[in-house]
Amino acid sequence: MTRNTPLLRASAVALAACAALWAFFVWRAPIDSMQGPIQKILYVHVPCVLGAYLGFGLTALTGALYLWRREERFDRFSAASAEVGVFFCTLVLLTGPIWAKGTWGRWWTWDLRLTLTLLLYLVYVSYLLLRSFTEGSERAARFSAVYAIAGLAVIPLNYFAIDLAGGRTVHPENLGRGSLGAGMGAPFALGMLTAVAAFAYLLVRRLEVGTLRAELDRLEAETARSEA
Amino acid sequence: MNALLAVLWKDLVSEWRSRDRLVAMGVFALLVVIILYLAAPPGAGAEARAHVPGLLWVAYLFAGVLGLNRAFATELENEALSLLALAPVERGWIFLGKALASLLLLLVVQAATALAFALAFGLDLWPVAGRLALVATLGAAGVCSVGTLFSAIAVRTQYREVMLPLLLLPLLVPVLLGAVRATNALLLEGTLPWPALQLLLVTDGVFAIVSFLTFEVVLDE
Amino acid sequence: MSFALRTRGLEKRFGPLVALHPLDLELAPGAALAVLGPNGAGKSTLLRLLAGLARPSAGTIEIESRARSRVERRRNVGLVGHATFLTPTLTTRENLLLAAKLHGLAAPAERAARALADEELEGVAERRAGALSRGLAQRAAIARALLHDPKLVLLDEPWTGLDARAAARLSARLDAEKRAGRTLVVVTHDLGRVVGLAERALVLARGRARWLEAAALLDETALAAATADAVARMESAR
Repeated sequence: MTRNTPLLRASAVALAACAALWAFFVWRAPIDSMQGPIQKILYVHVPCVLGAYLGFGLTALTGALYLWRREERFDRFSAASAEVGVFFCTLVLLTGPIWAKGTWGRWWTWDLRLTLTLLLYLVYVSYLLLRSFTEGSERAARFSAVYAIAGLAVIPLNYFAIDLAGGRTVHPENLGRGSLGAGMGAPFALGMLTAVAAFAYLLVRRLEVGTLRAELDRLEAETARSEA
Repeated sequence: MNALLAVLWKDLVSEWRSRDRLVAMGVFALLVVIILYLAAPPGAGAEARAHVPGLLWVAYLFAGVLGLNRAFATELENEALSLLALAPVERGWIFLGKALASLLLLLVVQAATALAFALAFGLDLWPVAGRLALVATLGAAGVCSVGTLFSAIAVRTQYREVMLPLLLLPLLVPVLLGAVRATNALLLEGTLPWPALQLLLVTDGVFAIVSFLTFEVVLDE
Repeated sequence: MSFALRTRGLEKRFGPLVALHPLDLELAPGAALAVLGPNGAGKSTLLRLLAGLARPSAGTIEIESRARSRVERRRNVGLVGHATFLTPTLTTRENLLLAAKLHGLAAPAERAARALADEELEGVAERRAGALSRGLAQRAAIARALLHDPKLVLLDEPWTGLDARAAARLSARLDAEKRAGRTLVVVTHDLGRVVGLAERALVLARGRARWLEAAALLDETALAAATADAVARMESAR
């Protein structure tokens, strides 16, 4: 059973509040004249992008901190952040094509941001596979931290690479001033906030699992040793 | 520096004795050329030519990964890796020695493959040979730097042959795109675009630095 | 007073498992320490920490009266592990040459030749290391470990797999190195070899350590009894 720690309760409350507000504003937001109702999926898509990149940034950062300080809590945070981040990344890759099919008529294009996020997803998955397939939690921690750092370094490189290959075509340019219709600003902003809240909540829960699992590993190791 | 040369010497001598990596990479690249030739219709002239740079780099990448998979194979026996780990030097130098050895092998295979490609697809590479070699070297350097780092990691995981390409390929996108772009321009227009070169140089630099610095922890127990 | 090796609070954790609880030890130059105990006790971990192959989770290691960086420590330590660390595709001579180069020794070829001579390996100098018998490979490993003239020599179960003659040879070599002023730390199950070589003994069990009385090292029976006793005490004190 999950322990109902204060942190968990606080993040749950924050998430509930943000989500409620956000849902309200999304429901109330005007329907886009050009794209139709499908445009509303963007209120999910864009915040998820934030979650995906935030997740990886945190994974790499805490990985580096682990290598520097060798404190296990950094490694646990890194692992948790990666799992939560990959969840958001999956949502991006699911909601994106749905929106694309609704507006451009195609499920997938190799444009800059889509490709970049797809590559991020692959790095995430490789990171998680590396963690699973390395024996020894200390070694897994070290290896995955190194990989996360390399992965983070490659994100800007990928951006320029795809741009070079001519990928700057289909994706709508970012929300410049006034490009959003009236009534769309609030749901977007709240969406970002909700994404952060959701990320925090999931992270806290995942961290708890991580701590419990570490405790279980320790007990198992002690038992194994006493039987040896 | 001594350590770099020592490791380089060791790898090259070992390779010269058995030649297994070189042969494996070479044969594999040749097979890729043949298969690509059969799969991609060459008779279509300019349109087919447009695909050649990409195909060439696919062959290079696969050969590179194959070679890197074996980079630490000899070190697994008798825990020879520990000998390197015991050296009283910053382990980044060990990394450089290993990466250079892989790079030299890959360069040889790249040259042979380019020749095979030229024959198979009827290309005249002479006018751009020098610059093509430069692009090939920059690309190979990117592959071998991060590739050596991940090879050292993968060799201590389960499913190591699968692990290396999984880890490596998503990170090689900048190298691949830059190299293909540059090769494309060379073959089709005879020019070497600066943005592509720049991307390759920056990527190589970033990868080399990250790999050099993190190799220390990778060789730990 | 100067010492050859000193650790303070040396600890190693692998994730949740404590492989080595905080350990303090101090060895004078020319001393020999035997590290005993059951499998999985943390003996190899201790050696690898001392050799600089693994990073301590906590604590310090000092060699020759100074806390040194890991790189410097590796310069002053020689390790003979379970495996020989020899590259199978290189000849014996080349393996030693490689070790000499990695240590940045001046005139590496001569040092390698001398190391070969010290272990009487000239006969197999040009044989591939992969083709050496266990006994010869172990001698090559010892030559490799002593090549760079380390102050501290660590050996992990070095008598394993050696026949009586080779084992006696090894004991003689270690004795000679001791007299030459090197400090030894030897992990072994072969209690008979310990007697007469080591003046001190440390028993490890489940990552914890216990020193043995000097009297225990007088003969094999006493040593076996003292070791068993120490292990039993540590395992019951949970």
